[in-house]
Amino acid sequence: MTKHLRAPRRRALGAVATIAAGALVLAACGGSDDAADSGGGSGDGLSGEITFQTWNLKNDKFTPYFEGLIADYEDANPGTSIRWVDQPAEGYQDKLSADAAAGSLPDVVDMGPEAAYTLAQAGVLLDVAEADPGAEDLYLDKAWESMTFEGLGGGTYGYPWYLNTGPSFFNTAIFAECGLDTEALPETYDELFDAAEALAEACPDKSMLARMPAIENFGEYGVPLMDDDATEFTYDDATGVEFVERFRDLYQSQGLTEEALNNLQTAEVEEFKAGNLAYLPGSSYTLGDLRDTAPDIYENLGIGPRISNAAPNMYIESLVVNATTSNPDLANDFAQFVTNAENQMAFAKAANVFPSSAGSLDDPWFTEEDGEQETQVRVESANQVREAVVWWPPAFSSSTDANTLREQIAQAILGDKSVEDALQSSVEYSNERLAASR
Amino acid sequence: MSSSTDLAVRERAAAPRRPRAAGARATHRWRFVPWLMLLPGLAVVITFIVLPFGNTLRLAFTDATLLRPGRWVGLENFERLLGDDRFLTALLNSSLYVVCVVPFMMLLPLVLATLVSRPGRLMGFFRTSIYMPVVMSSVVVGLIWTSMLDRRGLVNETLATFGAIAEPVPFLTDRWLLLFSAMFVTVWMGLGYYMVIYLAALANIDGTLYDAAAMDGAGVVRTFLSVTMPGVRSTMALIGVLSSVAAFRVFGEVYVLTGGTGGVGGRNLTMTMLIQREGTGLQAQTGYAGAISLVMFVVLGALLVVQLWLQQREGRTR
Repeated sequence: MTKHLRAPRRRALGAVATIAAGALVLAACGGSDDAADSGGGSGDGLSGEITFQTWNLKNDKFTPYFEGLIADYEDANPGTSIRWVDQPAEGYQDKLSADAAAGSLPDVVDMGPEAAYTLAQAGVLLDVAEADPGAEDLYLDKAWESMTFEGLGGGTYGYPWYLNTGPSFFNTAIFAECGLDTEALPETYDELFDAAEALAEACPDKSMLARMPAIENFGEYGVPLMDDDATEFTYDDATGVEFVERFRDLYQSQGLTEEALNNLQTAEVEEFKAGNLAYLPGSSYTLGDLRDTAPDIYENLGIGPRISNAAPNMYIESLVVNATTSNPDLANDFAQFVTNAENQMAFAKAANVFPSSAGSLDDPWFTEEDGEQETQVRVESANQVREAVVWWPPAFSSSTDANTLREQIAQAILGDKSVEDALQSSVEYSNERLAASR
Repeated sequence: MSSSTDLAVRERAAAPRRPRAAGARATHRWRFVPWLMLLPGLAVVITFIVLPFGNTLRLAFTDATLLRPGRWVGLENFERLLGDDRFLTALLNSSLYVVCVVPFMMLLPLVLATLVSRPGRLMGFFRTSIYMPVVMSSVVVGLIWTSMLDRRGLVNETLATFGAIAEPVPFLTDRWLLLFSAMFVTVWMGLGYYMVIYLAALANIDGTLYDAAAMDGAGVVRTFLSVTMPGVRSTMALIGVLSSVAAFRVFGEVYVLTGGTGGVGGRNLTMTMLIQREGTGLQAQTGYAGAISLVMFVVLGALLVVQLWLQQREGRTR
């Protein structure tokens, strides 16, 4: 899973973070009293020291939050000590793999479902549903389900932490220039492809899309990604083929450049900022980023719901507990404490993300608009979270499976092979890897 | 016992035994010194080369992943390789790299070395300029060339300005253009390094040979072919070996020019990029990556054996 709090994106917090700072301080000061009710921080007789690992969160913006959080926990649980370790997020999977292989994984670690799946498969992570059967009720169902791995016997290998999703951003100047209706922005893939083809015809030097579909886009299009047991990938069915064929048709009608066949997300964002691209699927950070780094584009921004034929996509970050920790009670309790409703709410306000704790999305912060564009995006994205699904299958490797899928689609679009063969090759490759990892 | 024998015995008995025994002990002690001096280097070689190589060899026949030691699967990984299109693409690209890059690496630096081997400030400036890319990281060089060869980069813009092209040349998206662009960058980066080696070799050629060639009326080309090239033949062979190994192991240039993806449709993957893709990350398949590494080792070994055999044959026929 993509790490969501890297430095460039954090610039997007802007005014939201400033307003949130007051709430954050209040939350941090009074955090521990209610913690017992909402999960964690209530363990009687807890003692000892554990290590808590995060990625890219030790900085001016987040350090006060985490230091307050840890101080609250230690005050509420005398005799406990939490050692907070933070590392750069770049190559975090390699760092995790080195730690796991050396048997030195920290006691509580921040990670996404993909990393959690692999480590759980290796028996390194605690099944938190088994350790605390009541924990499930404290989180949103879909967040809990995304950390429950059917392919590994249905265990839940991490406490859901924060969620992220975002709207679709459109360059309305391009829409107007190329004769597209700025009042009827696309909301489904069919509408998006139709608009992309019209754009290609009217303005050959502009594009609607600049990247190949990723696995979560297949989910949003309505393609079944895996079988019910999560033991085999299935995205090469007729709907998957139809989805890729729309991209192929668009390429043939000059609506996709050859660069788009190889672009990663960063290139897509750059193209949008450069004014060459009409559509950008965003996250909760995108609006602030565009305002700060591409003011011309920001002035002509159209915002709509995330493009999807099925449920929109969201990403999730979790806190996992090392199964071999020498202090499982403390580690488990602390992970619950960090992810309880109150602390998640404070963090969501500080980091401009969404809480996975049950009921938190009903907070006025996520329901009431105040006329500001940031608030509008936040409220609409929060509504989207209620419907969203974490489409990325945890067993789908972002380094190999994702590359193979992109490459196979590119070969199909270039006409080197049929769409059916390309998707079948990609599915076979992923299934082979999945089988080999068992 | 005769008197002479008695004398000999007495002489032997009277011989200074202590110093001789001490000398033997000293010799015995000093015998370990070379090994002790070898120890640090040996430890480094064993730790970082021999053991990893042995481990790679073992992994190649297992289904190991990063977090699982794996079980013996015989030749299964190699069978899988033969059916893996990406492997065949990577093998083709890396082999093409050797075929196309090595001749340039053997000849161009020699020509440059010959041109700049004369003394003088201007020559010093040229030597430094040509050597400059060597001290730059391949990633930095790759990024510079990426921005130059981009669809809207300096090269395309310049060509368009002069009306030489109507559409941007797809240097970074066309399979072959990208590969040749990467080869160009590799040659550009390596020229200075091999030029310095040739400069050292040129300094060892007897100057009278050039005088003799001049007296015989040989021109520049004839002198180059008949004096310079034979004079640096062994250096050329060395550079052939070094550049072959480097070319087959190419990573940085292609990786950066393709944005880390292996090109459109993965058609520019090289062997090392494939190993990196399969052998790193949490879901790394270290057994499969080990098999690719072993194939790469065998190909490189075969390449070196062929080159050494050709050199020896050439040496015998001369």
